[in-house]
Amino acid sequence: MTMLPPINKRHTGWRLFLMTVWGRAYPRVVGIQRERSWIVFDILLPMLAVSAYVFVYRAIKAPEDYVGFVIVGGAMTAFWMNVMWSMASQLYWEKEQGNLALYIIAPGPMMACLLGMAVGGLFATTFRAAAILVLGSLLFNVSYAVVNLPMLLLIFFVAMTALYGMGMMTSSLFLLLSREAWHIANLAQEPIYLLSGFYFPIKNFPFWIAAAGSFIPLTLGLDAMRQLAFASGPILGFISVPLELGILTGLAVVFLLASRALLNYMEKLAVREGRLTESRA
Amino acid sequence: MVDTPAIETAGLGRIYKIRGAKKEEQKELVALQDVNIHIRTGELFGLLGPNGAGKTTLIKVLTTLLAPTSGWAKVAGIDVLKNPEAVRQLINMVSGGESSGYGLLTVRENLWMFAQFYGIPSKEANQRIKTLLEIVGLADRANTRSSSLSTGLRQKMNIVRGFLTDPTVLFLDEPTLGLDVGAARDVRQFIRRWMSDDPRRTLLLTTHYLAEAEELCDRVAIINKGKVLACDTPAVLKQKVQKESIFEIKVESPRLLVSQAFSAIECVTSVHFYPEDSHTVMKLTLREESAIAQVIALLTEQSARILSLQKREPSLEDVFVQLVGARIEEVENDDAPAD
Amino acid sequence: MIKNLQTYSRSFFTAAWLGWKIESNWTDPFLFAVYSIIKPLAGAFILVVMYGVITNGNFGTPIFAYLYIGNAFYRYVGDVMTGVAWAVIDDREHYRTLKYMYVAPIHIPFYLLGRGIARILTSSFAVLIIMLVGVNFLHLTFDIAKVDWPLFLVTLVIGILMLAMLGLILAGITLLIAQHDFNVGDVVAGALFLFSGAVFPLEVLPAWLRPIGFIIPVSYWLELIRRSLVGNIAQAFPTFTGLSNLELLGILAGLAVVFGVISVYVFRACDHAARERGLIDLTTNY
Repeated sequence: MTMLPPINKRHTGWRLFLMTVWGRAYPRVVGIQRERSWIVFDILLPMLAVSAYVFVYRAIKAPEDYVGFVIVGGAMTAFWMNVMWSMASQLYWEKEQGNLALYIIAPGPMMACLLGMAVGGLFATTFRAAAILVLGSLLFNVSYAVVNLPMLLLIFFVAMTALYGMGMMTSSLFLLLSREAWHIANLAQEPIYLLSGFYFPIKNFPFWIAAAGSFIPLTLGLDAMRQLAFASGPILGFISVPLELGILTGLAVVFLLASRALLNYMEKLAVREGRLTESRA
Repeated sequence: MVDTPAIETAGLGRIYKIRGAKKEEQKELVALQDVNIHIRTGELFGLLGPNGAGKTTLIKVLTTLLAPTSGWAKVAGIDVLKNPEAVRQLINMVSGGESSGYGLLTVRENLWMFAQFYGIPSKEANQRIKTLLEIVGLADRANTRSSSLSTGLRQKMNIVRGFLTDPTVLFLDEPTLGLDVGAARDVRQFIRRWMSDDPRRTLLLTTHYLAEAEELCDRVAIINKGKVLACDTPAVLKQKVQKESIFEIKVESPRLLVSQAFSAIECVTSVHFYPEDSHTVMKLTLREESAIAQVIALLTEQSARILSLQKREPSLEDVFVQLVGARIEEVENDDAPAD
Repeated sequence: MIKNLQTYSRSFFTAAWLGWKIESNWTDPFLFAVYSIIKPLAGAFILVVMYGVITNGNFGTPIFAYLYIGNAFYRYVGDVMTGVAWAVIDDREHYRTLKYMYVAPIHIPFYLLGRGIARILTSSFAVLIIMLVGVNFLHLTFDIAKVDWPLFLVTLVIGILMLAMLGLILAGITLLIAQHDFNVGDVVAGALFLFSGAVFPLEVLPAWLRPIGFIIPVSYWLELIRRSLVGNIAQAFPTFTGLSNLELLGILAGLAVVFGVISVYVFRACDHAARERGLIDLTTNY
């Protein structure tokens, strides 16, 4: 009698993709319940940091809408952090721990694995963003003037899609590089916050700087959301909301397609160079 | 109809470029050279060699983690470089001395997670996990966080992960590393049973425990410094050495023995000295058994006292020594390419 | 006593060497220099742009000098605390050497403090760059001839020691928590940003939050830095006008000692708890 019967059916295609996403998301979903220090370090303390920027505007007597800009920008940093650190640079840790090799040799696609990492962190991320948005709005008496809620939600959704596509592209770098990629992601943090206008409207930049910053989906996403959510938003907007939506949609498509191609290419390159297994560099 | 080999390589080579302490210094490290192996479906194939011989490098190439710099490799007839996705549907790998998964998850959860990456439905995966954990004696720790397990138990979990997905070709890279004697024996029994359950399964096992290779493997390849030195069944490999007689003599000597004198005796094929605390062990391979008399006479001339004399059946270690010229432990002390 | 001092210094200096190797060895010197310049400048420019947007680029005001200098030197807060606390995560999760450090005859707190040295050096470089850019391109009101160098140097040294002690508290806490996506030192520094008067006077805060600012030593440290570099501008803000430089220095030194003592006890307690729970050789990344 055999110890184990053969496996009846293995799922492939989209089913395998979704199973891989859920499989990789699971450690995150379970992890945040079993180790709760993230509530302090990932929600409460960042809330205080965002508040500091609010008080900077209050100190220099900025119009009250700017307080709202900071709150919305602060909420969106949660998603940026999720993409860069929960997804992209997580591969660096996986490589060091030896799990990356096991993911590579499994039939589940790497894109699904990355998405799983991001999805798994999404609960904590969304909680952080919501906490900053709600608490910040209440504490600082932010006044919203939402003119088109469906459009606002659409912008948010498309911007997130483009952002996560960009995150997958960046992740491919981590397949090839080790500690350099981690440092490069670290290096990029403040410049991204600056160029994307997390705390101020990018209209204040020269056109070409703002345009260059628009390659980061959060730049136009934030700009469009501010135009739709605040009374002074349209005056301080960079370009029109429909145009921003169009560009974001284009970015989403390009990033998702490019991420698939780049992940494949980088994986092949990493296999050639022997960079997929632990380096401890 | 020709059976497709489970694993096949031709002229397989891998060179690493190693950066020195200064970034300008770069040297090449030859990890594999002209490796040609042919493993049939249903074989339990052993790859034997010291640390740094190239065993893990070969496994990495075959499991699509590393590209060869020359030659090619196929698993179940599929080129590992041209079509890695197809290869990954059929394989799995377990490395000794490494843990997998996440410390925050339980044993069951870690195994379930990996089953998801292989498209195994949860119900079936959980059933298989339960059965496998019972077989390896981890059933009572199924709901324990893996961070709480000892090294040996984590390795057992790692082994279960390898078998859970029912791979067509399974790669075990020093799987009993870190396991105690009893656990290692259990794992070997399990491997034998797993192989006998389905003749379509193939297993490539790397080890530097010669006894383990002898016990388990249908065929063995001996690899050193990136080259395969011999490849055959353990019995045939030993027979090659068995044409000659092997003697082991324990000698107490007031001073170092003159080794060249022994090598000069006609019919002495090889002689190796292994100094130990209070005596020296001589291992001699003789073409003619009668030459032992001359060896004894020479020992007497050199005022050596014979403590014991034994004629031995050849082992894989003898095969290794003859091919490489030193014991496996001695080779490990030399500068060798990284695995 | 002498043997202890030898252990402390051996732990500290070996860790400092190691920390520098890790911080500087990940890429070529050019990229390392770019990293060391661009990251802090971008951080500084977020506030510069915020200010410029509202005031139409009027950088010659006292509030801008207050904000800019405070923000520049605030880099030390995040970097020093991270430098000390991150070593726990790095050694535990990445290099898996923390258990070997514990087994070795070294003094762990001094080891961690030594690991933070490299960050102090890169931070100093960053602060210098930010100040140079401010003076040369943003018309920051700063006269090098009027700098009170003794006050500046003493303040800087006490401040760095004080921040290292805060870092040690954080390192102790890090021993007990899992690795998360964020950098614990940066997150705590981000929170302290609100209370330390780094970029706005404490009077801007609601009255019930101000006492927090008066308890943390970072507030006094930044005030002294401003007074030593741009004394006349610092006087324009009422927060500490009732206190002389010497009084401020005394409060800073006193608080540094208090937090130093707290850090010893907190680290010891966390260290004990971590060893009790078997967390020293745990990998927690998920």
